[in-house]
Amino acid sequence: MKVVIVLLVVAVVLAVRLWQRGRRRGGTSPPRAPAWLTRRLAVVGGSLGDVGLVALREIRERVRGRIFKVGTVVILLGVAAAIVIPKLHSGGSAAPPQRVGVVGTAGPVLTELITYSARHSGTSVEIVPESNLAAAEDALRSGKLDVAVVDDEKIVVDRAITANDSSTTASLVQILAPELGILHAYESAGLSATQIEQVARARPVPVQSLQTGTKQGKPKNAPTSVVGIILLFLMLTQYNTWILMGVMQEKASRVVEVLLATLRPIQLLGGKVLGIGLVALGQATLIVGVALGLGAAVGSDLLHGSAPVELVSQLLWLFLGYAFYCWVYAAAGSMAERQDQVQTLVLPLTLPIILGYVLALTTAETGNPSLFFKVLAYLPPTAPFCMPVLVGLDQVTWWQFVTSVLISIAGTAVMAHLAAGIYRRAVLRSGARVHLRDLWARPAGRFRTPDAAGGAPG
Amino acid sequence: MGGLLEIVGLRRTFGSITALDDLSFDVPAGHVIGFLGPNGAGKTTTMRAIFGLIDLNAGTVRWNGEAVGQAQRRRFGYMPEERGLYPGMLVGEQIEYLGRLHGLDPARATQAARTWLERLEIADRIGSKVEALSHGNQQRVQLAAALAHDPELLVLDEPLAGLDPAGIEAIGQVLVERAQAGCCVLFSSHQLDLVENLCEQVTIIDHGRLVVAGRVDDLATSGGRRLVVRVEGDRRADWARGLPGVTMSEVDGGAARLLLDDGVDSDVVLRAAMAAGRVTQFSFERRRLSEVFREALG
Repeated sequence: MKVVIVLLVVAVVLAVRLWQRGRRRGGTSPPRAPAWLTRRLAVVGGSLGDVGLVALREIRERVRGRIFKVGTVVILLGVAAAIVIPKLHSGGSAAPPQRVGVVGTAGPVLTELITYSARHSGTSVEIVPESNLAAAEDALRSGKLDVAVVDDEKIVVDRAITANDSSTTASLVQILAPELGILHAYESAGLSATQIEQVARARPVPVQSLQTGTKQGKPKNAPTSVVGIILLFLMLTQYNTWILMGVMQEKASRVVEVLLATLRPIQLLGGKVLGIGLVALGQATLIVGVALGLGAAVGSDLLHGSAPVELVSQLLWLFLGYAFYCWVYAAAGSMAERQDQVQTLVLPLTLPIILGYVLALTTAETGNPSLFFKVLAYLPPTAPFCMPVLVGLDQVTWWQFVTSVLISIAGTAVMAHLAAGIYRRAVLRSGARVHLRDLWARPAGRFRTPDAAGGAPG
Repeated sequence: MGGLLEIVGLRRTFGSITALDDLSFDVPAGHVIGFLGPNGAGKTTTMRAIFGLIDLNAGTVRWNGEAVGQAQRRRFGYMPEERGLYPGMLVGEQIEYLGRLHGLDPARATQAARTWLERLEIADRIGSKVEALSHGNQQRVQLAAALAHDPELLVLDEPLAGLDPAGIEAIGQVLVERAQAGCCVLFSSHQLDLVENLCEQVTIIDHGRLVVAGRVDDLATSGGRRLVVRVEGDRRADWARGLPGVTMSEVDGGAARLLLDDGVDSDVVLRAAMAAGRVTQFSFERRRLSEVFREALG
């Protein structure tokens, strides 16, 4: 896990460095998008009206940007490394099955015990009949066998197995040895072959608890969950920053005055949010798709169990989180027109994101969500981080999940309404940073020009 | 093309400041109309009101008799005082984008961008970022963006500020051509000599109120007769002070500009000047726009 985190951090730092270097070079004409893509996007954008045109410009400008290209490649490399390197470290996906030699009769009971033990030690097995002990020992020494079972009575290995040996062979032997001992005891007790087979196939009965217990120990898909949370945090922060800076730059360059001479404020804001949202969704879908595809191809442990469901859940919550926060950041961007003004606005907006991020990371590691954490999973600012973790821990029912989604959608609608009001009033005010209390100092009269966008004296 | 913009009773206050105070005037098609006033008179606020960029306390803006809304504004062109372009966007794409927001299809938007950049002599910068252009060229790009959709009304806030003579001439020619093509052109400027050359009509406001509006020729010839008298060696024209029915408008480089009340005989003035020295200039003159402006504002 530490390797994964380090890789991600390195990837982000590299992306930022490359972006900064690109900015320092400056002055060069940016490449135009391919003509076919421009035409296709123009048709799509035009069919969506003014909002589509604004969204189209956002998509083109974002996708064309060096930071987007480099960032996407670096994140994909980081995800690929997170999936492939652990697999390589543990022997790779094509690790050969454990070869178990059997001296004596390899009856159905013994065969099943060996297979059972192999499955529970996380490996596959190939059973090889050996004529005698000497041949089995030769095969062990030459590496043709990993383990030899002699007449159901003993296990022979080439190298001694210590208590802290975590190799696959050691895991197999540690499970197989007591199973063989029990089998041998059954035979000594005089059970018939049929009885032994019945007993050997005995499996634990299910245990039902009257109260919901807390899961102990580290959850199996914690690494996947953590990687997903980190990506969610990085992407959500990045996309929100795009919105913030985009709105602020339109205000600072005064181009917003030209745009709002033709568009309604909600059309301009909606187009920006839609365009950046589509880029974000596309990038995130690409990353999750590559992660799932690569994970399936190499048989990664990171994508076992509920991990794919959690990843898809994180993708959904990235979308919902963006939908909620983009309005907040757009409103903040409309109140500033310089970097220093932005700094003081961003910190309080980032706090709920950081809170959700840190708590989600901690809970994903411990597998033990607190009541506070569960409450946060229903609040729109923190749900994007908390709810996917509960999904990964299998601590949430479908209706609880849907409830949280609906609350988030409702919260987004309220936030969009508030943000559009702030944006309309603030974005044409230039000079000093606009404060919320300034925005509701409306004209004394009640008349408004049709589609008026607010504004300041000029 | 053709139309009439009506500004009717606009009122806007900002706290204790009255930016617009029952302001009304018309902008007919086919003329370049200069919109004049001192700083803070309310010119920019009026222009913003035309485009719905401010809330009004009262009043309305009409285009051909209808209240102006988004559909009408789509046929207007606007060049704000502080300009407004995406610094990092390519010149050609920027004009195409703004043209499309005004209803042009992609092919027409592309064609319009090329046409206007060529017309304004910056076609070679079509692939440059706006931020890489000089101030003057950015101004031309801004004008091209305002013209791309062939607007019926063109509103320009200080379009000539900071331009070199070549830029002023290029933009001035375009404004006159658009007006001759039937477009309503309203532009503000503090460069009154340029306004006098370009405009057929002017509207002067102060403290948010209309002060004077009319044809430049009419304003120049209205009021009392105007005499310019120059007496050799006399730079103060003290001889003219105290003449009955004669008001000193200004003394510029020894040339005294005098306003004569009705019934005042100009020969009386000539005799007074000759008594002061050798008269080197004695002529009747139209009022200059700067004088109209100064006299209108008191």
